[in-house]
Parts: sequence; C-alpha cells; structure tokens
Amino acid sequence: MTREEIVEAVNATFVEMLEVPEEELKPEKAIFKDLGLDSLDMVDLMIGLQRRFGVSLRQNEEIRKIVTLGDVYDFFVNMEEKMREQGIDTSKGLGAAAREMEKREESSGSTPDKPA
Amino acid sequence: MNMNQRRRVVITGIGLTSPLGNSPDEMYEGLKAGKCSIREISEWDVNNMKNNHFFGSPVSLPPDYAKSLPRSVRRSMSSISLYAAYAAQQAVFDSGLALEEVAGGRCGCIVGSTMGGSSAIEEAYRIYISGKGMEEMSSMQFFKCVSHTAAFNVSHLFSVTGVVQSPAAACASAVQAIGQGRDLIANGVQDMVICGGAEELAPEVSGSFEIIFAGVKRSERDPKTCSRPFDAARTGLVCGEGAGIVVLEEYEHAVARGAKIYAEILGYATCGCGNQISQSDHQAILRCFDLVYKDAGVEPSGTDYVNAHATSTVQGDMEEAIAIREFFGGKVPVSSLKGHMGHTLGASGSLELIAALKMMEHSELIPTLNLEKPSEECSGIFHVTERIPHEMKMFLKNSFAFGGINAGLLCAKVE
Repeated sequence: MTREEIVEAVNATFVEMLEVPEEELKPEKAIFKDLGLDSLDMVDLMIGLQRRFGVSLRQNEEIRKIVTLGDVYDFFVNMEEKMREQGIDTSKGLGAAAREMEKREESSGSTPDKPA
Repeated sequence: MNMNQRRRVVITGIGLTSPLGNSPDEMYEGLKAGKCSIREISEWDVNNMKNNHFFGSPVSLPPDYAKSLPRSVRRSMSSISLYAAYAAQQAVFDSGLALEEVAGGRCGCIVGSTMGGSSAIEEAYRIYISGKGMEEMSSMQFFKCVSHTAAFNVSHLFSVTGVVQSPAAACASAVQAIGQGRDLIANGVQDMVICGGAEELAPEVSGSFEIIFAGVKRSERDPKTCSRPFDAARTGLVCGEGAGIVVLEEYEHAVARGAKIYAEILGYATCGCGNQISQSDHQAILRCFDLVYKDAGVEPSGTDYVNAHATSTVQGDMEEAIAIREFFGGKVPVSSLKGHMGHTLGASGSLELIAALKMMEHSELIPTLNLEKPSEECSGIFHVTERIPHEMKMFLKNSFAFGGINAGLLCAKVE
C-alpha cells in the first residue's frame, strides 16, 4: 500500500466509525485533545483499524504510543515498510501480508521479527 | 415520614414511543379508534418457527431520530435506550422544565426494564460464539447490554446529577420506577424525577413466554384478535415494546412555575407474592391494593377506573379479576389496553398510565379490545367493552410481574 492509500483508509475509519468531520483530519491534530475522542473511542478506533487493514492490533505495544493522527498514518506506513523489508508482498493489503508472515513463521518455527 | 409529612407529588410531563404511535396523543387516537398494533414478526429468523412466525407489537421511531443525538450520547444506546431517550425528551419538553434545572442535582432519573438491551446482548453473544474472539467487541457493547442501560443513557442525555436508579422488575418496572420517583420527591430527596419504563421486543423473551405456555397460541389465532384480556377465548399474551416516561415534580414547585399538572400520585405500593414466581396470586394482589389505598389515605370507594394489568393469560387475568371483584365489587369500570398494544413488558406500566391520564383528561374510557365474552372466572366486574364517556377523578394503575411482584399507583386529578 502507498502512504496515500494508508492515509485514505485511516481517514475513512475516523469518518465512518467515529463521525469525525473530514475537514478536521489533519496529521498534526492530537486524537484526544483536538479530535475530541476519549479512551472508549480509542478502543473502537482500534477495532475499526483492525477491520480496515486486516491486522490484529490489541497486543501491539507501539499503538499505545500514538498521540496524533499523523502518528496513526506513520504506524501503518512503518508496518508496511517492515513487511516489505522482510520480503513480504504488501500489494494485496496489510492483512494478507500479515497472514503471509504468520505462514512463514509456522513453517520456519522461528520467532518472528514482527513489524512494530 | 408519615403520610401527613410527605410532600405532594404531581405529574407535569408525559412522553412515549408506543406500538400505536410516537406521542401520547397519537397513541390515544389509536386506542380510541380501536386499532391493534400486533402483527407477525417475520423479521425474526427463528429456525424452528419458519412457518409460524412470532406475533409481536413493535414500535417505529422516526428514522432520523438516532442520528439527531450527538454521537457521544448515542454510542452507548441500543434500541431500548433510544426508545427511552425519545420518550424522555418528549416528557421533559412537555413539562417545560429548564434543562439547567434538570441537570441541577435536584432532578433524578429512574428508568426500569425487564432485560436491558436485548438486541445488544444477542449481538454480543453472536460475536462471542462466532469464534472471532472478543477483539471484535465494541467498547460500547457492554454499555448497551446492561440492565440499567436505559436509565444511565437518559440520565447522560440530560446531564442528570441527581439520583439515578433502575428497577429491574419485568412488567412492574415502570410502576416501580414511578413509585420510587414519587418516594424520592415525597421525602425531600429530589424535587423532580424523570421516570418510567422501556423495553425492546426480543425473540428470546417472546419465546420464553411460549415455553411456559403463557404466550398466545399463534397457530389458532389472527394477530389482530389474539390478545383478548379477560375473554373466555384468551390463550395467552403477545409481547410488545416501547417506552413511557413521566416527569414527576413536587407540587409546590410545579405550582410556583405555573406547570401544567396531569394528576397527583396519591398512593403507591409494591409487594411480593412470597410463594410464586410465575403465576399471579389474587391474595397478593389484594394485599397490594390495600397497601396502595392505605398509602394514599383514601377509601377505594372513590375510585373511578382501574387500568388493569391483564395480559390475556388464562391464569393472570383470572387472579386479577378475582382481586378486583373482591376489593371493588362490580361498580368500578375496568379495562386493559393489552388487546390494543400487546404486553409492552417494562414499558407497560408507564405507557398504560399515560393512556389513563389521557382518558381522565378527555373524560372517557377506552375499552378492552377483543373482549367479547368475559370468562366465568373474570366475570362480576364492570368490564368496559366500548368507549364510554366517564368523569374521572381518581384511577388505579396495576402492574404484576414474573417473580411474584405486584405494584400499583393511585392517581387523582388536582382540583
């Protein structure tokens, strides 16, 4: 996925799931302070992003460091980059890539170098 | 606090969503016209009932209502809370109370129901059983399910900082909610309370009545005539849904601001059967009647109307009729509105109370729909079988619930 595609997918989640007006979605905006979301919204945002990208996020420590909307974009961009560095095809989406990674781990029996 | 020290409590606002309409006037027009809201619920995909759909009495909120609420308030609401919110907004608006006063700490919120968020509970279990794991569960799912979901959502909508309670007493929930609100105001804890009951129509609830043979025999019946309280041909009840909310207010507080007063709550009582969880018991009902009138400090002979609980079950209607006959004789007119709307469970007490208030306002009585011939054991009381003009100053609202819970409210015009 390109950065633009990731930005579009993240923004769509905010609009559809949390009804944040599109014009509010600027990368520098803090999710709690500026976009008016609370901790319960964050849980639902995570579920929405899981569904959108097809990846499991609940156990991911890096996601807890997110402060701004730009951090959300960067989180998925970084995920995509790390997958490509490991030779995983990300052209069919991050979800398919994550499943490919899991298959490789199972066949090699090694501890995965999971994207942050 | 004894009766003489208690503050007087009046009803100053009413609001609802009912199977016959989304306002007290709309519901009342439907009742006057003898309409029945019961139909086949073909939307329920219940595998073993494919050729024999459940009957039910659903509401239909305005389609844009949910979206009219801010997401921060709406996100924790399943249908039951939307119904309660709609009714509460109507009631508070009707009362003319300022929103600042509702949020000021002297106003409480008491909304009861049988099940809480039935549809949300079903959705939660679908996710759980699906095997996808709890990761798919929204943060709001639990809030939509809990038994006090309607109460806290309405209190949140109005920023209530007063007492918030949620009686979970099945069919007696609404009367208990209003009674508890009355007590809070009478004892000086609150000056106003938004109170009533709500319920969602749910297949597991309808099914549960059928399993114990309390539901109507659908295979033998037409939806429009199947609910027939007190009638010799009754076979059981049909479930419905909705929400009815009243605003209760301390009398002097209401008079001081020139509020419209629908009625005063003269008496309230609730008691258990003590020996039965599924069947009504006329002895316990009589005890409840006695407690209501003792609480009010008035004689039963001044009662102009009894709005019955009567759900069209063989046993329940009989026990209530026996108790009415013994307590009131054959002179006080009695009708049940469950022939029109089915049994709206947690909402029934408040929806039917509001209907009785409208009857009192219009000086007429709505009959029991589909009552053609009272069964022998239900005879000997004054059954209202057609709309009649009737001056009313005082009426009794009955509600009896699974678990052997009995409750009654005595309301009177304020002269």
